[in-house]
Amino acid sequence: MDKVKILIVEDEKPIRDLMDIQLRGAGFSCAAAGDGLKAADMIEAQRFDLILLDVMLPGADGFELMEYIRPTGVPVIFITARHEVRDRVRGLRLGADDYIVKPFDTVELLARVETVLRRYRKAESRTEIEGVTIDFDAHAAYKNGKPLDLTAKEFGLLVLFARNRNIALYRETLYERVWEGEYDGDTRTVDLHVQRLRKKLGWEKCLVTVFKVGYRLEASK
Amino acid sequence: MRFSWKLFMWTISIAAATLAVGGYYIVNSFFRSALSAETKQALEENGILRFALETAALNVPSKYESLGDQTVARIGATLDTGGQSRYLRISGENSAALYESGGFCADGRILERVADGGLAHRITSANGRFYIQTAVKISVLDRGLYLETLRDITGVFEERGAGFAVYRKVCAVVLLCEGGIIFLLSRWLTRPVRLLSRAARNMAGGNYAYRAKKVGNDELGALTEDFNEMASCLEYDVERLEEAARSQEEFVGAFAHELKTPLTAIIGYADMLRSRRMDEETRMLSADYIYREGRRLEKLAFRLLDIIVLGRAEKPSASFRAGAVFEYLRDTFSKLDADLELIYDEREVVGDAALIKTLLSNLIDNAVKASEPPAKIEAAGEDRGGVYVFTVADHGRGIPPESLGRITEAFYTVDKSRSRSRHGAGLGLTLCQTIARLHGSELDIRSAPGAGTSVSFSLEVKY
Repeated sequence: MDKVKILIVEDEKPIRDLMDIQLRGAGFSCAAAGDGLKAADMIEAQRFDLILLDVMLPGADGFELMEYIRPTGVPVIFITARHEVRDRVRGLRLGADDYIVKPFDTVELLARVETVLRRYRKAESRTEIEGVTIDFDAHAAYKNGKPLDLTAKEFGLLVLFARNRNIALYRETLYERVWEGEYDGDTRTVDLHVQRLRKKLGWEKCLVTVFKVGYRLEASK
Repeated sequence: MRFSWKLFMWTISIAAATLAVGGYYIVNSFFRSALSAETKQALEENGILRFALETAALNVPSKYESLGDQTVARIGATLDTGGQSRYLRISGENSAALYESGGFCADGRILERVADGGLAHRITSANGRFYIQTAVKISVLDRGLYLETLRDITGVFEERGAGFAVYRKVCAVVLLCEGGIIFLLSRWLTRPVRLLSRAARNMAGGNYAYRAKKVGNDELGALTEDFNEMASCLEYDVERLEEAARSQEEFVGAFAHELKTPLTAIIGYADMLRSRRMDEETRMLSADYIYREGRRLEKLAFRLLDIIVLGRAEKPSASFRAGAVFEYLRDTFSKLDADLELIYDEREVVGDAALIKTLLSNLIDNAVKASEPPAKIEAAGEDRGGVYVFTVADHGRGIPPESLGRITEAFYTVDKSRSRSRHGAGLGLTLCQTIARLHGSELDIRSAPGAGTSVSFSLEVKY
């Protein structure tokens, strides 16, 4: 499968660059547009797998652009700085697949992007890392063809590490993502699960502890 | 009970009572006069019969020393010519009847009243008919006789009854008509009250634009006018409150948006720096973005603080030399890629020099941003007879007319992408306006798209 191509439409250069770095880091191919008209031109000229679309844009705004994108069938995640529910509802009604509210962090951005891509079968449902095959759809992992016995939390951690390779994931982030709760500073739960995961996968070498921070999966892409 | 009903009920009751009493009085007075005419007639008849009886008694041949009972009876029969309307009875000293017309149906109690002479009458009834009974004591020859007459006056009573019946009908018709008229009248009179009430309900329901319709120029009309005036004041106040609430909400929304963009960048880049190994170039780019966006937040925060503080400050009473401010501007913008032309009258003006410098610097900044390089900008100070007018003019892209009214609103930007790319916080003109207002002036912004913009404000000249 070719590299997934994502178009970032965002007028704020710092944020455009930020998303660009984050997505490239995760192995995507990116193009960026700073206003609606340029974005429209690019959509016409090239084929994208996903469009990240800011709502407030000079030129043509995100909603107008969405009507333009919809016939092409390209999935859209729209980015909004507004907390206003009606904007989100309008975006979703116009055919957006998901939305991200500013400010967001890398992990959230990548999670949403992958979810939408998988929905459109544009991301592989299986991936292999360091001898472990992960089947995202089946919620299962295999090592040397044998299924691994993972708990739901362990599988969640595995997916998170797989998506954020070579990135130091803070215990706080791991906890908030996998346990979906407010992190209260208690590291033992996270540590315990990571250690067990490490053992089950045989990842003693590549799933490294980052001193005072958390863990990082060191793997080539 | 509704007021119109009260009015209706009271009016109709009073009318009915008046009609009843008045009608009774009238019918009764007719009855009385008819009755007294009948009485008079009866008494006259009695007089005539008495005379006739006396005459007849005198004509009795003188050979009769005394008047015999039969004679009296005979005379009585002669006199009894009244038919069905007049009856008579002649009684002797012992009240025993000597002659009595057929159908005379009254007792002789009246005779006691005339035993000592005189004429008496009374009204009596028998078998459903009414009569006037008169009685007199007559002395003829040696006899003391009683003459009684009975006159049928049933007609008078019947007439009274008929009068009442007719009157009842008349009353009913009159009351019905009157009732209708009063009903309509009471509705008409209370209409302003109902209209007012409806207006009050409408206003209570939130429809502040509703006004009561004024009917008539009376007290209720005046009340309606007062009410409407009150409603207008209220509507104005509510509108102002709503406007204030709306602008507050817009401000908070815009502020949140303005905060989120730099925050997203700062959090995002910081997160990358802390969790990812990056090449030197990306690392520096990230750090630079964090720095710049941090500065942007700082500027936003301090601008906002300035606006809030200045919005509550007192009008400055200090004065400064206008020339000094223009010299400062010349120095500050000398490195700028712009042709800044300064023309000014040297005057001592009332105001805070530091704030005026901020104001003019902001205006010149805006002018530069609005122009394509090389920008040509004029800053002028002119004494117009005691009022010192500062003007900053450019020949840039200008402001669309529809945006001109909102340009000083916090976070309002005509073209989002342009102002952002030049790191505007969207508060510059708001701050300028706040400073101008603090000095008792307003920003006078004139602009034509494509031709440029000129912004002026004025200060007092100090003599």
